[in-house]
Amino acid sequence: MFDKRFGLIHDFLRNKKKPVLWIVVLLTAAAGIGLPFYQFEGNIDLMLPNDRDIHRSINFLRDSKLSDKVIISLVLTSPDKTRKDLFNAADQLAASLPPSLFSKVITGISALNVMDALSVINYAPQMLGEKDLSFIDSRINAAGISEKLQGIYRQSLKPESIFMTSMSRTDPLGIRLLLLDKLRALPASMGYDVSIEDGHFVSRDGRHALLIIQTPVAMTDSPGCKKIVTALQEQTGRLPEYISADVIGGHLHTFSNEKVIKRDILVASTLVSVAFLLLFIAVFRDMRVILVFIAPLAAVILSIGLSYIILGKISYLVIGFGTAIAGISTDYGLHVYIAARKGAGASQRVSLAKLLFVDAATTIFGFSALYFSHIQGYHQLASFSILCTIFSLALALFILPLLLSIKKDKVLNPPEEKKLESLYLHKRLIVGSWALLTLAALFFSFNIKFDSEVTRLDGSEPEVLRAEKNFHDTWGGKSSQAIFVVTDKNHEAALETNDRIFQEATQAIGAENFSSIAAFWSSEKTRKKNIENWNRFWKGERETKLKRLIREESFKYQFSEQAFSPFFDNLYNGTTGNNNSDEFLSRLKERFVQEKQDGYQILSFFPDKKEHVDAMAALSAHYPGTFLVSGKAMSRAISDFTAKEFKFLVPVALAFNIGITFWFFKNLKETTIALVPLITGMTWLMGLMSLLNLPLNVVSILAAIVTSGVIVDYGIGMTYECQYDLKIGTVIAVSLSAVTTIIGAGVLLFAKHPALFSTAAAMVICLLAGYLSSITVVPALCSIFLKPRIQEQAA
Amino acid sequence: MKIKAKKVTLILLLFFLFLYPGTPLFQPLQGEGFLARAGIKEGIEVRGEKKSEVSDISGLLRRLGEKISAFKSLKTDFIQEKELAIFKNKIILKGRIYLQKPDRLAWHVDKPVKYSVVITDKSIRQWDEDTNQVQEIVLAKNPVLKNMLNQLTVWFSGNYSPLLEDNNVQVLQKSPLIIEFTPKETNIAKKVIKNITITFREDEKYLKQIRIRENSMDVTTIIFLNTELNAPVNSSSFEVKGGV
Repeated sequence: MFDKRFGLIHDFLRNKKKPVLWIVVLLTAAAGIGLPFYQFEGNIDLMLPNDRDIHRSINFLRDSKLSDKVIISLVLTSPDKTRKDLFNAADQLAASLPPSLFSKVITGISALNVMDALSVINYAPQMLGEKDLSFIDSRINAAGISEKLQGIYRQSLKPESIFMTSMSRTDPLGIRLLLLDKLRALPASMGYDVSIEDGHFVSRDGRHALLIIQTPVAMTDSPGCKKIVTALQEQTGRLPEYISADVIGGHLHTFSNEKVIKRDILVASTLVSVAFLLLFIAVFRDMRVILVFIAPLAAVILSIGLSYIILGKISYLVIGFGTAIAGISTDYGLHVYIAARKGAGASQRVSLAKLLFVDAATTIFGFSALYFSHIQGYHQLASFSILCTIFSLALALFILPLLLSIKKDKVLNPPEEKKLESLYLHKRLIVGSWALLTLAALFFSFNIKFDSEVTRLDGSEPEVLRAEKNFHDTWGGKSSQAIFVVTDKNHEAALETNDRIFQEATQAIGAENFSSIAAFWSSEKTRKKNIENWNRFWKGERETKLKRLIREESFKYQFSEQAFSPFFDNLYNGTTGNNNSDEFLSRLKERFVQEKQDGYQILSFFPDKKEHVDAMAALSAHYPGTFLVSGKAMSRAISDFTAKEFKFLVPVALAFNIGITFWFFKNLKETTIALVPLITGMTWLMGLMSLLNLPLNVVSILAAIVTSGVIVDYGIGMTYECQYDLKIGTVIAVSLSAVTTIIGAGVLLFAKHPALFSTAAAMVICLLAGYLSSITVVPALCSIFLKPRIQEQAA
Repeated sequence: MKIKAKKVTLILLLFFLFLYPGTPLFQPLQGEGFLARAGIKEGIEVRGEKKSEVSDISGLLRRLGEKISAFKSLKTDFIQEKELAIFKNKIILKGRIYLQKPDRLAWHVDKPVKYSVVITDKSIRQWDEDTNQVQEIVLAKNPVLKNMLNQLTVWFSGNYSPLLEDNNVQVLQKSPLIIEFTPKETNIAKKVIKNITITFREDEKYLKQIRIRENSMDVTTIIFLNTELNAPVNSSSFEVKGGV
């Protein structure tokens, strides 16, 4: 059946040679012209599991306003220049940034404005609870008032009293300190180390100033990030020579990652193209071998075009894999070319076609296993790679022969073939050595580490990371924060839940660790209750008592009768609860409350430590509509998820390979021997990675799965050759296939992007182990355990 | 110390808020609003309309600064009169001020209570007889206080040229010279200070009096007596306890 159909297609194409070739050329050219117009995605998110919690956390972080900041730390590099010069530079830079890209630029705040904003009278009635009122009550006695008045008097003698005395008139009891106590957890949880001078943020050493910039451009918007980074580079480049700038923010990572991946792909493609050409031309000394190289290249171009039509945006990482896949795809053309050079007849061509179909099938099924994954990027990679394999096979089997017309000759020189044959004389030594090495690799593989930290796949350039290090060294803020999110359609309902969470969270992890809006601005229900308590507290006898005590103690310090009238006259001003629109409060609320299309999210922050995350996760379980966003928990979830996927996908991929191999040979012994490269590749990969202290990660596992489909082909090809003595140059074809694939993957070892490097490391180890075992161990095992089918058929 | 901690908390709190989204408490440095606040637009208008007046005042302040800043050290007695709404009567403080350039100022109050403060560019040390405790505050951790003291030190230094940027300056009288500084809208001192009037000595080598009028109508006047320029100043004068 196969033989007949293959023959029919082959003959049909040969008869329609010219139109067929034109169609292929035109289609490839069209796909190639489209390349600059396709949209690609540089986002690593595509490679993350589609798990509900992880997805929610990622979406939360992306959609929240927490990540829309770019920060510039300006450094005064000349000792001759003063802080005034630094502040001038900060102000000028702030004014120069275009509002279309930078919606707000903040260089500092006025300390006096802050004191003014935190008006006791406006906020105390709503913010102070029963405990606070009890504390105030404990101070309303002769001793307490005397102490307070003495403090105010003493303060008035000091030079700074000019600025402080009027403040004391509105707060004789020091209630402001209670309000500040409630806000204390906010900066403590951040760990930033900042001072303020002349209304500017300044570092403790006085040599750095800070600009906090808000931008409407999302971190995932690659072209937008490019515009932002370019504008910042342009403006910081105009700073005086005594000022240098460190810019930090997620946008820089997006831009830098894309730049690094693009550069890596360009370098890899160039290297691989040159290496392929040199290799083929040196080995075959025939310019037509370029066609073998062009065929998979055309296949990659056609696959990108078709993938874009079917899938939409394609990830740069997937295209990065394309370089390696180009190496794999060369194999088919290489087999066809070598068979042609060996002068293969019609029956040999059919046998070769069968072999290549099986090879392609193992590759396709290897990739198909990725459809069982919950990672979307894997699906895209599977589709792209399967298309690439199909196009390569079709071009190699049906188009390449139309362009080749070769007389029979030797591809390898006879002495080299003899060297290989002499190797097989030591078959027992080869098998023994292989068994020992594989057992050793198996032993080491038990110590393999898995790195689930996705941030380590961030390929940002060193200057981006250096700027972040400089920033943290100067300003602190290294500790990461987890976020507890309360969601509800109704704002007030969300705040009420948040109030309850706050009470329980402070018990669970401590008030100093939990930064919540409930600490200073609770739900309307609670605030109304606080106002009632405040009114009841003062309207009883306390107001009179306090006035009397102040009057009695005032004479010692000559306070006037009206000294504290600003406090008493406005005692009930804050009880209307109508300061919702205050700028100070709005600013605080925006930090904690996010309005979404489907309701509200109330955020609370706490240190991202396991014990805290566990305690808060237990709390979240009792409150539907709440969830946690923790970088460390997410990392653990990815680790668990990937381990689960690994346990499932690897057996699926192996099962596909084993199934197809057995279907091809229909013999257990031959199947087992054909699978030796696969077993060797996987075992050595884990053993060597462990020995080299390289951890496995999501991309290296993916690379291993992809490579399993390639090395199984080597085993099948070599077993097939040994059993049937096809003389179609399988050894040289496998060798060249392996070399080209290793080059394809190996060039990525020079990649700066860690994701591409991990891919390359896994593929090169796997391929080398698989290839070496296929040309040495497989023939030795065939020779020891199998009787060639050709002999059986002859007998 | 508790107050110090609270102030630090407050500043950190505000920084914390500004690292996150939303409208800032104080307008963003953007567009016309920012320029106005930075004094740029205002400066242009002033330069356009009152060019000669501004350059006159600038020249006057520079000349005064050159005259006054010639000294390296200073010691003077002072009387500080405080007419504050919080007190029944005028509070009169008597004491001494020692100034050693570039960055040391000692303020010793002898009456009505003994109080002493020494200010350097890094910290302030203070002592009072009621508590008999020496308290040290690192200024880097207390930006509010630092800002206030910086302003105070500038007034004592006599170098007023840099103040033109943040204040409108008017000459009230030529002999003896009296100059009034009114904080511009962009100046954070505007929140508290209505104006500051400086009266110079006849020889214009130092100040005779500083009067600070607050928005609350409180008035503080510091009168300098027995001022000695470049007089030897004991290091003990810069000790908070030894100075009293």
